[in-house]
Amino acid sequence: MVITTGVDIGSSAVKVAVLQSPKGSGRERAGTRVLAKVVERNRRRDARQVIELAYDRALSEANLPREKVDYVATTGEGELVEFRTGHFYGMTAHARGAIFLDPAARAALDVGALHARAIKLDARAKVLDYRMTSQCASGTGQFLENIARYLGVTLEEIGTLSQEGKTPEKVSGICAVLAETDVINMVSRGISTANILRGIHESMAAGFAKLLRSSKVEGVVLVTGGLSADTGLAACLNDALHKQGASKLDVRTHPDAIYAGAIGAALWGAYRFEKLAFTPGLADIQKEEHLP
Amino acid sequence: MTPEQIAEKADALYHDLDLGRVKQFRDEHPGAKVIGYLPIYAPREVVDAAGMLPVGITGGRGQIEIIRGDAYFQSYICQIPRSTIELALSGRFQLIDGFLFPSTCDVIRNLSGMWRVLFPEKYVRYVDVPQNFDPKVGGKFFRGELGHLRDDLAKLGGRPVTDDDLRRSIVKYNENRSAVSDLFALRNAAPWRALALESYLVLFAGNVLPVEEHTTLIRDYIAAVNASDRPMRDNARVVTIGSFCEQPPLGLIKTLEMAGCYIVWDDMTLSKRWLTQEISTEGDPLTAIAEAFLTHSHSNAVLYEPRREKGDALMDIVRRTKAEGVVFAAPSFCDPALLEQPMLTEALDREQIPWTAFKYSENLGQFQVIREQAGTFADSIKLWSPA
Repeated sequence: MVITTGVDIGSSAVKVAVLQSPKGSGRERAGTRVLAKVVERNRRRDARQVIELAYDRALSEANLPREKVDYVATTGEGELVEFRTGHFYGMTAHARGAIFLDPAARAALDVGALHARAIKLDARAKVLDYRMTSQCASGTGQFLENIARYLGVTLEEIGTLSQEGKTPEKVSGICAVLAETDVINMVSRGISTANILRGIHESMAAGFAKLLRSSKVEGVVLVTGGLSADTGLAACLNDALHKQGASKLDVRTHPDAIYAGAIGAALWGAYRFEKLAFTPGLADIQKEEHLP
Repeated sequence: MTPEQIAEKADALYHDLDLGRVKQFRDEHPGAKVIGYLPIYAPREVVDAAGMLPVGITGGRGQIEIIRGDAYFQSYICQIPRSTIELALSGRFQLIDGFLFPSTCDVIRNLSGMWRVLFPEKYVRYVDVPQNFDPKVGGKFFRGELGHLRDDLAKLGGRPVTDDDLRRSIVKYNENRSAVSDLFALRNAAPWRALALESYLVLFAGNVLPVEEHTTLIRDYIAAVNASDRPMRDNARVVTIGSFCEQPPLGLIKTLEMAGCYIVWDDMTLSKRWLTQEISTEGDPLTAIAEAFLTHSHSNAVLYEPRREKGDALMDIVRRTKAEGVVFAAPSFCDPALLEQPMLTEALDREQIPWTAFKYSENLGQFQVIREQAGTFADSIKLWSPA
């Protein structure tokens, strides 16, 4: 068995997944089991400290010592993980994680704290194309987290509350600063929390739907990243796609989709571990006998 | 010293646009002259033999705001002449007594003319190099050019430059070339230990250090790296090409490493390793330098190579370094690098070597797009290449 860990370092949370996959299972890694998964929010703490904490918790949950891990794969801000073996770019990791969680997926919509990405992929999790939101923080997890704090609701409550909103208020979908001003005005005008949240979700969903359409994705889209557990957002996204004439897209969520990056990185790590071990050319160049 | 400490020392030299180390040389050697040279090839041995300090002029390194420099060039000209003019007009080259403008491209050649007009009190020479590689033709021509340079420097320094002076300098530069070559071998064998950014800074220090001191710095760095214990990472081994003149910002090199690339070979400091082999210390030293240019020049975009297919040298490097991919990192508007690129990519495509390309300028400050491009390139090599 090959034991690998995936560490996804985001700007608001660190996600760790511990995986066990059969030897010789190639890129597909059929028979892979997730032994543990942990999410640790940063909460303004030192990122390296949070990583260590999350990593130790995950290994403890999997009942494994560090030395049993064959490959530590990172994604996101991987340079913060000194003990990493290799790093995979966010899109590559999310694409692989999406296929693992939902083999029918042909696109992933990675909605993180600071940006969103529509990733088109094939059945092998190879990234075919992608589109990314602009640099503005509006329509991302960090923005939603700030609004939730202003409104006094927890992140877990957002989805359910939003779906209760029947007369949503329009929110600026372009600028986070303007959107926050909109929300403050709404609160002072007595708009209900449910309608405010629904309005925000609709604004975000309209942007994501455009992103998916412009990337020409087809079939099943799995929402991954920090906002993947937000059922209110997924509902609004389906509505937005319908309104924009892209109702053939099947937007799905998965309870573990927040770990997609970590799981994807760990799966690629397992593949690389075996490739490095069994490809003579690659193993040779890493021998120190070439030193002058 | 640790590799980090040595790199820190080199980093301080890199960031010192006021040339503090050059001032120190002048203080230590009263009356000695300083000769600046632009990229790429300059016969540093001749300058050193004249008892002068050759100083590499490498642009503003993104540390100065260019105001006056822009007034001298059209918008389609690269960044290095702008920042070079800006540095000169801001008085930062006052310590430099003369300037060599190598035959790199039209921009550098024209800069030599501008220099004569702007700074008539300075010694200025355009270093022409042979386009004919027959020793009886190009060799004779270049020997003549080197002779003129020697005579000019002798006049400037107020003392003759003897053959023995030249031989002593050739030996010093041969030792430096050997150290540089060992550093590249180390980077190729253990890129996780000799990091590209550190190696770059150590080589870059050769722009202002006297050659013996630079050789010692490289040797110290190699020893420190060999004594260090740095973890090996699963990165893609890449060659970067196209950065031989205007230098990339340090952030770009760091970005490539952070994106999962081990840079096992690059042409960023080509002026420090133009010659691939030692210069002979036998016979007439100027003829030896000329012959070394004809026979041991590193293949590159500005070298006229009628007998060799473009791309052959790059393929040799890829094979020798066991690189898994090539990154074309060329300055915007760099004619030599960008005009050569299609011929090189054709050669890579023939051999199914993956490559990616982007452009930079020395004052580039945002690396997110390059990070994405390099990150996905490294991933594609690791996950989808047939090897």
